[in-house]
Amino acid sequence: MTAPITGPRVLRGAILDQRGPVSAAALLFMGHQAGEALVPVLVGTVVDRAVASGDTGALLRWLAVLGLDFLVLSFCYRWGARRAWLGDVRADQRLRLLVADRLLDPRGGAETGRLPGELANLAVADAKRVGVVNFAVPLGLAALAAMLVAAVSLVRISVPLGLLILLGTPPLLLVVHFLGVPLQRRSGPEQERAARASGVAADLVDGVRVLKGLGAVPAAVARYERASQEALGATLGATRVQAGYQGAVLAANGLFLALVALVGGRLAADGQISIGGLVAAVGLAQFLITPLQMLGWVNGRIAQGRASAARIAGLLAAGPAVAGGDPAAPPVPHRPALALHDLHHGSLRGVDLEVGAGETVGVVAADPADAAALVACLAREVDPARGTVTVEGRALAAHPPRTARSGVLVASHGAELFSGTLRENVAAAARDPAPVASAMAAAQADQVADVLPDGAETLLREQGRSLSGGQRQRVALARALAADAPVLVLHDPTTAIDGVTEIRIAEGVAGLRTDRTTLVLATSPALLAVTHRVVLVVDGRVAATGTHAELVASHPVYRSAVLG
Amino acid sequence: MSADAGTSGRTILPVADTRAVRAAIGRPLRGRRGVLALGLLALVGSAAAGTLVPPLLGRIVDVVVGRQGADAVTDPVLGLVGAALAQGLLAVVGMAAIARVGEQVLAALRERFVARALGLPLARLEQAGAGDLTSRVTSDLALVGDAVRQAVPDMARGALVIVLSLGGLALLDWRFFVAALVAVPVQVLTARWYVRRSSPLYREQREVGGAQQQQLLDTAGGIATVRALDLHDDHGDRVRSRAADVVDLALRVVRLQTGFFGRLNLAEFLGVAAVLATGFALVGAGTATVGTASAAALYFINLFTPINEVLFLLDTLQSAGASLARVVGVVDRDEDTEDTDDADGHDRSASPDGGVRVRGVSHAYTTGHEVLSGVDLDLAPGERLALVGASGAGKTTLATIVAGVHRASAGRVEVGDVAMVSQEVHVFAGTVAEDLRLAAPGATDEDLWAALDVVDARGWVAGLPEGLRTVVGTGGHTLTAAQAQQLALARLVLADPAVAVLDEATAEAGSAGARILEAAADHSLRGRTALVVAHRLSQAAAADRVAVLDAGVVVEHGTHDELLAAGGRYAELWAAGVGRVASGR
Repeated sequence: MTAPITGPRVLRGAILDQRGPVSAAALLFMGHQAGEALVPVLVGTVVDRAVASGDTGALLRWLAVLGLDFLVLSFCYRWGARRAWLGDVRADQRLRLLVADRLLDPRGGAETGRLPGELANLAVADAKRVGVVNFAVPLGLAALAAMLVAAVSLVRISVPLGLLILLGTPPLLLVVHFLGVPLQRRSGPEQERAARASGVAADLVDGVRVLKGLGAVPAAVARYERASQEALGATLGATRVQAGYQGAVLAANGLFLALVALVGGRLAADGQISIGGLVAAVGLAQFLITPLQMLGWVNGRIAQGRASAARIAGLLAAGPAVAGGDPAAPPVPHRPALALHDLHHGSLRGVDLEVGAGETVGVVAADPADAAALVACLAREVDPARGTVTVEGRALAAHPPRTARSGVLVASHGAELFSGTLRENVAAAARDPAPVASAMAAAQADQVADVLPDGAETLLREQGRSLSGGQRQRVALARALAADAPVLVLHDPTTAIDGVTEIRIAEGVAGLRTDRTTLVLATSPALLAVTHRVVLVVDGRVAATGTHAELVASHPVYRSAVLG
Repeated sequence: MSADAGTSGRTILPVADTRAVRAAIGRPLRGRRGVLALGLLALVGSAAAGTLVPPLLGRIVDVVVGRQGADAVTDPVLGLVGAALAQGLLAVVGMAAIARVGEQVLAALRERFVARALGLPLARLEQAGAGDLTSRVTSDLALVGDAVRQAVPDMARGALVIVLSLGGLALLDWRFFVAALVAVPVQVLTARWYVRRSSPLYREQREVGGAQQQQLLDTAGGIATVRALDLHDDHGDRVRSRAADVVDLALRVVRLQTGFFGRLNLAEFLGVAAVLATGFALVGAGTATVGTASAAALYFINLFTPINEVLFLLDTLQSAGASLARVVGVVDRDEDTEDTDDADGHDRSASPDGGVRVRGVSHAYTTGHEVLSGVDLDLAPGERLALVGASGAGKTTLATIVAGVHRASAGRVEVGDVAMVSQEVHVFAGTVAEDLRLAAPGATDEDLWAALDVVDARGWVAGLPEGLRTVVGTGGHTLTAAQAQQLALARLVLADPAVAVLDEATAEAGSAGARILEAAADHSLRGRTALVVAHRLSQAAAADRVAVLDAGVVVEHGTHDELLAAGGRYAELWAAGVGRVASGR
């Protein structure tokens, strides 16, 4: 992992990783192409030995040979295609998993600057385009081999004719290659534009409820139309190039055939080659069109694969958001003390805060940005610019992110639910099934289950969007409680929940987290009332500490923050 | 955790029938028929030029056999040069024209698709799952696009070559044509064998692909949660299992395809052997020259590729047709007009005076689970009404029904121009200005700043790196929940409706930000009739009137003071909420 990840490296890796199937496919495809090349040669032989002479025995003999040739070429194609496809889909799958693994890297950083739709597109469409290269490469090699067989056959018919093909084909290939260059140049921006357009579509569909609430669907449609028209503009340019390319390949092939016919025809007229030889020669020259077109196709796939490989490399090379930490760091103990020292990040200006082992502390931030910055540091989504978060005396940043997060579990305000049943969602982060039921009860998520058609076994659709905001919050809170983490950080867990239910939840959380280190970032009086003490953060610093009751009584900023 | 949990239990969006598909294609084609005809004509010309090649080669054979001298070869060769140039040139014109029309039709189709998809009733979208729509918007549209770009032109060219070549074969001698038909039964049987198996297989392949796409979208969209809860392994396994399904199906597909080509090889052999044998017999009987027999054999060899292509494309076209039906199914939803969210449906009408009248509204998301039962509610013009009740009492449902986002199972609503800010805060990917202009496309920058002033957001927007031009939303500058909510309120101000519905709008950010937001909401509601879903009792106290919902029924309504004095459910809630705070004091 020391060398930088580049597009060519990704592409090379995709081919080399599947060299077994790719080379087997290349050999089999060569066999297939050789068989195909022999078809016109054998047809020429039938014309020479049977049709021109009227020899029935020769007709049957040579038709049997032709049948054998078909058998071989058919067998080679069948197994070659299966091997090539295997190399293709395996490389595709490997890249998809590499992209997914990078995305899932606990150190984060992969999703910065990319829409979820774009990420999914990288993992699906781009990986597929790179995988296809493993189908294209054996086909390309076989096409070259076919041209070689054709040339050898032609040299055996006539040396000048064979030389003509041997010397004439490379310039033809060069022309094909240069014609393909603009296509490759177009491919990148065109795909980029299309990805943008489909990203815009996915984003709009994602916000469809908001659009409907505002009556803004027409404006959103107009916005998509602009994105689509931009994509259309790019594609139209590319299709013109594509049409020009295909037409030029057709004309070049036809002209080449005419040249072969001219030379072959004159040789036959002078009696230097037989009529069967002439038929075989023009047949071969026509046969050559297929491998040539194949090369054109292969060229195009490789160009697309290269563009996609570069995009995938861009993602794989994205730097991590946080450091990896010391892998040998011991896990966070069951009941640790938590301390924040001189913490600077975002709007934080040196926060000092200690939470004793087993203590429950509330944090009220007058500015929500302060709370968000604290959450980011505690969740190790970022490593703070200055200052430390320590757990039981050890810096959080010294732990690998996963160890840090399983020690300090942050239930963020924006947490998502995933597809699966309600119970599966609650149990997702639980290492042990025992606390699931009590967590559901504490978070009042059992009440949510009661009103769903299949109770806790109801499938949650669309990341839980079929639930109301309050229902989603209760399920997410239950999930965080069920994880039974040494340190639990709750960030505004009940903002969409009514006052009465909120009071029950506060009692439930307090009961479940008795003598467990817990930090509650909220401004809800119900939640703050059940903490041991509360810390008020103003302008990025700790401004006051005391019990909820004391601060309500003594601190006007606190009062206005929680009793708004 | 079950890996299949994401796809089961859903009712997917409709799929169009053939007639609807034809109509949907025909509409954007109108006005482009001239270009299309030109393109087709050019392709016919190109194919015709191509079929001149074997007889010209046959001429050369006959020149040789007739010992007419080397120079006699020149004329047919010049013919070959002309044919090559015509073939290439006409192909450029034809393919460019057809591709152009195809792309334009495609763009028109996808734009209409997105327009209709966004217009789908919410309940319907939730029922089908985002994956259904996403896979239609990405893979189905892509499949149709590929067909338009590749399969349709290739099919057209291949079919033209076949027809013209068979015609050429018949012109040489009708018996060659009959001999060529020997291959047809094998080809027909093969095509039937293939298409029968391929369609279900390709459908399964697309479904598995859609599930994979949905899983990746889920994981990518919730990646912060995955990290926080250490769900890496679970999500890694989910992606892995989806990817393994995709590989499995791909391999089944290639087994089918290679079987298909193997059978076609048999047809090729039978055909070419028959044509050669016919040539042998005809030359022997003196009714054909060796050159004619050679030309016939060359014709038939030239047919291998186009025949394989056309038969193979039958399936691509069939599956593209299936994708098209899924796309058009969303575009043409005539069959479910009854659940469109058309604001002027039979159970919804404009209120003449800017007030709101709700009569006998009942609603059930799933049959038997009624969340609202016979709700009546009136809002005088300019009045602010707070909805109060425990979670699950039906407040949000009633709010979305009044806003016209959801449609009630029964009852009617009279409301004029209405807009809603829901608890779901979505910051649209793009600049702040673009986000705001979704509510008022014609708004000037000054209008935007004025709206931001109303919700007290000018300060932080001006402080963003590029002000109104700062890219926000997924992939852009991250906004706090309160900022996102202020943007949502600014959109409401820009939309400037007579009736506003706020659902927990001020609750999302927690009370610290909520105080700013409450002021912002208060300002943005000024001069409008407003229905406010209140979770903070302070919001209820600030409203003109309060309605208390319990288990889908309005149990009491009146002013805050009236309800407190009445000592009912509201007074109970108030005592519980305030009492708790008071005891903390």
